[in-house]
Amino acid sequence: MVDIVNIRAHAKDLLEKGTVKMVLGYQRGTAGVLAEPAFITDAGQADHLVWDPTCVQNLALYLVNEKKAQSHQRDPDTRPIAIIAKGCDSRAVAVLLQERHFERKDVHVIGVSCGTLGVVDKNKLSKALNGRVATKVEPHGTDSFKVTTAEGFVDVAAADVLADRCLECACAYPAMHDVVFGEKHEDRGYPARFTALGQLEAKSEDERWAYWEGHFNRCLRCYACRSVCPMCYCPECVVDSIELMVDPTTSADEKANRIKWIERSAVASENSMYHLVRAIHLAGRCIDCAECERVCPVDIPIRMLNNKLEKEAKDMFGYEPGLDPELPSLVASFRDDDPNSFIR
Amino acid sequence: MSSILKKTDLGAWAAALEAEVFAPALADGVWAYQPVAPGANDGGVALTHPNTARPPKNFAFPQREVLYTFEQLKGQAPKLTETLPNPAPVVVMGVRPCDGRGAPRNDMVFTGAFDDPYYQSRRAKTAYVGLACNTPPSPNCFCKAVGGSPSSKEGLDVQLTDLGDRYHVVAVTPRGEELIEAGGKLFAEAGAADEKESQRLHSEAAKCEQRTFGDLAAAAPALKKNFDSEMWQSLAKACIGCGICTFLCPTCHCFDISDEVTGQSPMRGERVRTWDNCQFPDFTMHSSGHNPRETLGARLRQRVNHKFLYFVENNGTQQCTGCGRCISFCPVGIDIVAVLDRMIQA
Amino acid sequence: MASTPTQTPKDPSVFEPRIVAFLCKWCSSAGSDLAGVSRMQYPSNAVPITVMCSGSVSPVYILSAFNKGADGVLVSGCHPGDCHYLKGNYFARRKIFLVQKLLSFIGIEKDRFRMSWVSAAEGAKFAQVVEEFVRDIRTLGPQRKLKAKR
Repeated sequence: MVDIVNIRAHAKDLLEKGTVKMVLGYQRGTAGVLAEPAFITDAGQADHLVWDPTCVQNLALYLVNEKKAQSHQRDPDTRPIAIIAKGCDSRAVAVLLQERHFERKDVHVIGVSCGTLGVVDKNKLSKALNGRVATKVEPHGTDSFKVTTAEGFVDVAAADVLADRCLECACAYPAMHDVVFGEKHEDRGYPARFTALGQLEAKSEDERWAYWEGHFNRCLRCYACRSVCPMCYCPECVVDSIELMVDPTTSADEKANRIKWIERSAVASENSMYHLVRAIHLAGRCIDCAECERVCPVDIPIRMLNNKLEKEAKDMFGYEPGLDPELPSLVASFRDDDPNSFIR
Repeated sequence: MSSILKKTDLGAWAAALEAEVFAPALADGVWAYQPVAPGANDGGVALTHPNTARPPKNFAFPQREVLYTFEQLKGQAPKLTETLPNPAPVVVMGVRPCDGRGAPRNDMVFTGAFDDPYYQSRRAKTAYVGLACNTPPSPNCFCKAVGGSPSSKEGLDVQLTDLGDRYHVVAVTPRGEELIEAGGKLFAEAGAADEKESQRLHSEAAKCEQRTFGDLAAAAPALKKNFDSEMWQSLAKACIGCGICTFLCPTCHCFDISDEVTGQSPMRGERVRTWDNCQFPDFTMHSSGHNPRETLGARLRQRVNHKFLYFVENNGTQQCTGCGRCISFCPVGIDIVAVLDRMIQA
Repeated sequence: MASTPTQTPKDPSVFEPRIVAFLCKWCSSAGSDLAGVSRMQYPSNAVPITVMCSGSVSPVYILSAFNKGADGVLVSGCHPGDCHYLKGNYFARRKIFLVQKLLSFIGIEKDRFRMSWVSAAEGAKFAQVVEEFVRDIRTLGPQRKLKAKR
């Protein structure tokens, strides 16, 4: 069991000693049952930190944002940032290290083990509560949650409300950490990795296309999936052209004819382009925190796209992202015995 | 004059309307306005939805609207062809009062100083059949805080009130009267008891507990005063800069116009209007590379100020109807009620 | 050797596949040149786009080709070990493999996207690759799934 008191004490200690400039963690929000990101810079605020199954966000995103902000500062504070990281989040930090986004000394990873549990899926939770509104979710034993509602307490089986990613999680214990809270559990008793993917793969080609066409059709192109992803840090995304260099000699034609890979219209063809490009770009980098899928307001199963490439990379190239920051990246490396038979 | 419609007759009413009828349905885990299949019987429409993920604004203001098509042969003047929409009549059922109040606010934007024929031709063909909220459909509802109510009729053509096994039906506009007339015998005259029950439910609903930020009139001056406040940066600290809050908003209406080239010789294509979003970095990007709203704090301020300050100054009403979508769907818990509360307190 | 008539039929009811072929400058593009100067007969459905290396073909080129209406996309480079830049084609091999898996996962017919190794000396092989590709795509019919509806 993870006791928040210990995390708070550790955070307080770091901030008092000034060894870190900020602790990235979670605090209670006003918007609902889910915790919200906390940016603690003052030891006195360390008591705001919370840790429970509603701490869904992958805070590694803010390490990236902080780095971006620093590049604009004249005299940046270069002390490390402490981050409270679940197993998946710590893998995200490892990928960012692998991509030399920052150095190991720039980050202090406060690992927290999800143990036999994980984080809740808000939609599953509201379904399980059948209209009642959850105000608090706590772990209860090793396989259920104690949910507080206005009408009283409800005990909910973890398997019913855990996020899909958590049900198939193979890294509930943060491998990379400076300090860790909670224990490692080898057997979590949930479905094996890629179970959901396997079910989708087993469908026929036509069924798969019908499935994806329906989902892509619904996309609003709000780009929440991209914005929430710690790996989607490109200064210019393929869908927006904000970096076109314009000088006094740039003609109207040049401006008009700048490459537009994907039109702004949220129609199926353009939406599928966007999602496919994003999936490919995350191949060997996505660590399945599934934040993209969680934030989608229209429930597109984005995680499945990323899962597919994760599985292929594992099966064919023996590559697993986020385990070793020293490894060359998936698409910037090769082996002589990579599959070749598909080529004519 | 009001009437009574049995819940089991809702589908038959939808079928009797000479219009494309849309009603909320749960598809792929999302509540969305779905077309009601023609000839749907009583099982076809059931207004049991909390609130849809997307507001009904797209019926008058679709995410993509073709403004005109163009074609140009080399060395010749371009030929433009207008593509003003001429849609079939649409009836949207189950519109919640907050979303209903969104419609007149969008009308203000696209009518009057700037007459928008694309919006207007769609709007003229769209009718909203509202459903009063007996209980708040979301814990983040705050319609009362922005001058609305769970039984507001504003923007609706017909208002339904759920009386258990039947609806109490009130025509709000002449178009609404036509719709009820089209239902013919499906509607019975409401008795005094039904009207009383409907009123009781409305006043019960008005007492329900909702989120609030206090005095609505204090919002605009507070925002004006705090324009340069440091608070914006800290409130937007967690913001990821996505477009959920605006795309799901019943009143956000900003758009972008771009050319989509579909062929090179002759060069032809479409000029299209698509939803745009003040939270995206390229929304205010100048071609020089300068971005006047570079930070997320500035973008959050823009969104809140547009709704509670600029729109009030220009149109005398808030451009927020308290549906709570931007709060419920925000990936990181940014909460417009809490933001306003903080600004007013400061 | 190819024997398909080179004359493109004018009959619009006959489906003529449009193939976008990304050919590396050093091998496959030279191979296609060889097929041409050797006067080999093969279908004219492939639009060649010469790139410096198969490793420089970004997945977005491939997706964009489908978006703009290609019925098939071919990426062709030097045989393993022969890359002008030593290892570009090895990188291409991994990337293309992943793109192929992804496309097939979302339900795009597997035969619409192909990769081949064609050296500068293999004019006949190039003709054969294109001929087979055109034949297979003819059976599949036009690609509509990813094509922009314009």
